[in-house]
Amino acid sequence: MNAFIRSFASEWLKRKRSLAAWLVVCGAFFTPAIIFTAKLIRHGHLAAESAQPTYWQHLWKSAWESMAIFLLPLGVILATSLITQLEYKNNSWKLLHTTPQRYSVIFGAKLAVVLVMMGQFLLLFNVGIYLAGVLPGLLLGVPYPAAPIPYAAFLSDDGRYLVACLPIVALQYLISLRFRNFLVPVGGGLALWILSVAVLSWQYGYLIPYTYCSFTFLQGQPRFAQPVALLPWAVGYFLLFTGAAYGLYVQQREKG
Amino acid sequence: MQAPYVLETQQLSYRFGDGTAILQDLDLRVPAGSIYGFLGPNGAGKTTTLRLVLGLLRVQQGQVQLFGQPFAPHRLAALRRIGALIEAPSLYGHLTAIENLQVLQMVYQCPAARIGQVLSTVGLAGTGTKPAGRFSLGMKQRLGIAMALLHQPELLILDEPTNGLDPNGMLEMRELLRTLNQQHGTTILISSHLLAELEKMVSHVGVIHRGRLLFQGTLAELQQQRPGNARLWLTTSDAAKTMSLLQARGLDAQRHEAACSVPLLAPAAVADLVRTLVREQVDVYEIRPSQPDLEAIFMDMVTA
Ligand SMILES: Nc1ncnc2c1ncn2[C@@H]1O[C@H](COP(=O)(O)OP(=O)(O)OP(=O)(O)O)[C@@H](O)[C@H]1O
Ligand SMILES: [Mg+2]
Repeated sequence: MNAFIRSFASEWLKRKRSLAAWLVVCGAFFTPAIIFTAKLIRHGHLAAESAQPTYWQHLWKSAWESMAIFLLPLGVILATSLITQLEYKNNSWKLLHTTPQRYSVIFGAKLAVVLVMMGQFLLLFNVGIYLAGVLPGLLLGVPYPAAPIPYAAFLSDDGRYLVACLPIVALQYLISLRFRNFLVPVGGGLALWILSVAVLSWQYGYLIPYTYCSFTFLQGQPRFAQPVALLPWAVGYFLLFTGAAYGLYVQQREKG
Repeated sequence: MQAPYVLETQQLSYRFGDGTAILQDLDLRVPAGSIYGFLGPNGAGKTTTLRLVLGLLRVQQGQVQLFGQPFAPHRLAALRRIGALIEAPSLYGHLTAIENLQVLQMVYQCPAARIGQVLSTVGLAGTGTKPAGRFSLGMKQRLGIAMALLHQPELLILDEPTNGLDPNGMLEMRELLRTLNQQHGTTILISSHLLAELEKMVSHVGVIHRGRLLFQGTLAELQQQRPGNARLWLTTSDAAKTMSLLQARGLDAQRHEAACSVPLLAPAAVADLVRTLVREQVDVYEIRPSQPDLEAIFMDMVTA
């Protein structure tokens, strides 16, 4: 356990100032910044909106719309590939693999970095949504939104999105550990994501592991209803891909 | 208890995917406390051997023993005692020198003070916030060495570490390695394709060519290889006349600008030669046997 924590700390430091770290921050504030700008432009409606009991739900939904279907899957694809790319680009697998660490620890620590970055992203995204909700009013002298923030519902949404992303993380991790060329995981991920959008209204759409984020957002719309519980499937795919990724990683003939 | 050999391989052979044999039956033996020069021309298999030894390639045939124990079952214990720099240094280009070392310090759990120590050892104390990606080639190499030294390894494996170092840097590196070897007893395995670069420093030498070990032993033993190469050098007041006198005696004489050389002669033959030269009014300035030229021995081995 100690070895894992040390390894994680070391991996976390590597991510500092890297493209992946920036991606988390920029990605988290991208949609909130757009909403913020839109609110400023349509400032005439601000007072009426702010008084509505569903003010926060509306805000939440509009923030997640592009995020769930588009930005989050693509962000996960990019960030996961960037984390492994740190080693390929710097030619440092040979350094990492000659440190006295078990392969399972190295594998787990890197995966944990991706997952913690996702948590970090969700946290920043929530902060961004909150700021997009209150800052325009503060700037324009409109009263603070009347309705209370439905924390519990939002947190459970965050959790569901996190789980929905897990299959993407694991499969991207598998691919990007395998291939030195950055274009392979990114191109492959993009192809799978396009496929996932194409099958959204298909009744077997849940079979494609990249669909869960979109389905989580579309839940409650009969057109996109799926016959299975999504989150257990997401977890199942995650475990399957993680196991496969570890097997392939350990079996690798050249370790740097 | 110390094993006589810090590193030992038995019948190590390796093929890459395309099936051509890269290494064949390599029996490497690096004695404890030695500075072992691993020499071979480009493509000889030096890097491949070192990658096998460190577990970066999976051993297909033969055995690797480190610190007297088989490597595979004791991988972590062995790696803890090894510092390695294979080919170009692995640096995280977006991190500073200190951060690069912190990445390792967390894993090895060595005192944070070591970071400052190794940085000043390699002369990189003042790089501040500059990311390692913007370092010059030599600075990168120095940082790579600092990273290999951080946890005070007992065995240092350096693959062509002087790549990109200026003459002063090479000198400093030699000094550094000698100091580590003498004061801390660090065993050093250092590869190069230049014997001249290593001969002032190493105690043992292994010569690899096309995946086979052609020679292994102490530096002195290497020097005794092929004494047939040694020649007698004569510097005289008249090189042309000397040449014709030597040839008249049926010797295989060669002209080197102001000097001539012949294969080594028996003492009586040398005395007779000098008498002849003096009689012919040629002043003899100097007669000496050539130093056995290690580079020539090495070149001879790998071109044979
Ligand atoms: N990944 C690989 N796949 C196939 N062949 C390889 C691979 N790496 C090295 N080789 C081959 O193995 C042989 C030995 O290479 P190696 O890098 O060990 O040589 P070297 O002695 O380190 O040479 P240099 O002095 O140039 O560094 C070469 O013929 C090379 O082409
Ligand atoms: Mg090499």
